[in-house]
Amino acid sequence: MFIDKSMIKNVITIHPEAGILEAHALMADNRIRHLPVVNGDDRLLGIVTDRDIRSALPSSLLSPEEIEVERERISGLRIRDIMTRDMVTISPYQTLEDAILLMQQTKVGAFPVVDLDGKLTGIISIRDLMRAFVNVLGLEEPGALVGIIVEDKVGQMKKIVDTITEEGVSFGSILVARYWEEGKRAVFPYLLTTNMPRVRRKLEEAGFTLLNPMEWSLDQLPKR
Amino acid sequence: MRRTGLLYDDRFLLHQTGPGHPECPERLVVIHKAMEEAHLLEDLVPIPASPAKIKWIEKVHSPRHVFKVEEASLLDLGELDTADNQLSPETFDTAVLAIGGILNGVDLIMKGEIDNAFCAVRPPGHHAEPNRGLGFCFFNNVAVAAKYLQIEWRVQRVAIIDIDVHHGNGTQRIFEEDPDVLYCSIHEHPSFSFPGSGREFEKGSGPGYGFTINCPVLPGQGDDEYRKKFERTLLPAVDDFRPEVVLISAGFDAHSDDDMSDIRLSTDHYSWMTRQILEVADRHSGGRLISVLEGGYCLQILPELVVNHVRILLDR
Repeated sequence: MFIDKSMIKNVITIHPEAGILEAHALMADNRIRHLPVVNGDDRLLGIVTDRDIRSALPSSLLSPEEIEVERERISGLRIRDIMTRDMVTISPYQTLEDAILLMQQTKVGAFPVVDLDGKLTGIISIRDLMRAFVNVLGLEEPGALVGIIVEDKVGQMKKIVDTITEEGVSFGSILVARYWEEGKRAVFPYLLTTNMPRVRRKLEEAGFTLLNPMEWSLDQLPKR
Repeated sequence: MRRTGLLYDDRFLLHQTGPGHPECPERLVVIHKAMEEAHLLEDLVPIPASPAKIKWIEKVHSPRHVFKVEEASLLDLGELDTADNQLSPETFDTAVLAIGGILNGVDLIMKGEIDNAFCAVRPPGHHAEPNRGLGFCFFNNVAVAAKYLQIEWRVQRVAIIDIDVHHGNGTQRIFEEDPDVLYCSIHEHPSFSFPGSGREFEKGSGPGYGFTINCPVLPGQGDDEYRKKFERTLLPAVDDFRPEVVLISAGFDAHSDDDMSDIRLSTDHYSWMTRQILEVADRHSGGRLISVLEGGYCLQILPELVVNHVRILLDR
């Protein structure tokens, strides 16, 4: 799952000498929050975010006269004055897993994708990762979830898959929730069927405990 | 008493789904028997079933899909696309006959010969999308009826109220861009139930934005939650829309005895919903209402719910 398959390739960029009002308009028009800053030959110099720009803009609490003075000051500001130069980047040969974990660690919402020559080739944001997540969950295919508690040991998944497959039912995805209770995990197959009572019955006959839907959760905070 | 039509035909039993399948012919057998025992049949105007012209089905479905259903039936392929959609050699004819009967019901209502109608049909329809069958459904019965009302009877505004416990993804898809068809559905929350669509923020698209209303209900909830969603969201939307005809996708699988979902409606609440919908049809549509059977799989409670439903339609 390489970055270059999921990243946005036609990146909207800005030149370091551009004014910040121009960058502000560019973001608003394209509904984006990150602008990589590049020079003439696509070399990445920095990044500006909508937050960088908003904090440079005059406060809406100022008087009209004060805003006028501020505007004068801002019109002289260039992107190079406010951009972040030590941004976090990622390479097209890294993976979606790298990107997710890196976002979690750095709390950054988008990474410019830079190739080995230092040139910008794309951008990957949390939105792209969400799109990939919707895809792997099978959320856009008609189906339903069932929640099963299993012992955390080898062979459980096979038993679940076999039981469901015997009913001729296809899988959209299978989620496994960790941090359940000691030695247990919760498995959530997303099944492409409306005939859930039958599947539930078969799973129970196979010895599984089904979870009450109101107790479903994917993620509980890890116990300290 | 109102003049209420009943569409029922023994040939609707010919669509076979195989052993253990919840959408079984017995559903209609028990419904018909219960209506007979409740002496409803003598008060109901029989609506004749006759095969629909394929051109009406193709107002909703692609010719390719229609052909696929016919082919799968004739070749006795056993299932269409998924194991949910079991079929038998008679499935295609049964589905076409059911739609033809519903359109006959539409004609009777629009000519003023009856006030409203209940259509006890199989197979059900609301999951069927333009290009595929899904969730026991092959053709979208209610959607074809709405298109027929628009085209043949030049009806401007049709409301479809879907009370099946599952979201009618097919009906929503078909009309999501159409501001002249209001699709309202109340169903178990899609994160817990097939088909996984019908979230509150799905409101239609393009010119049809705002003409799709979804009311998801969490597992374990019942009458109170349904009543709130009806009174606060669903009925006001229909009142604003002022439909000329009201269609019901009448699924009875949200009852607490039905194991198709974790929604727990009481028998009385089903009657309450029927009354509310009949009243909204009285307010805007001159009482013109066509109720078409969708789900409802508990053979013990289904006949009682349908008898109550029809009794209210009759005002008896």
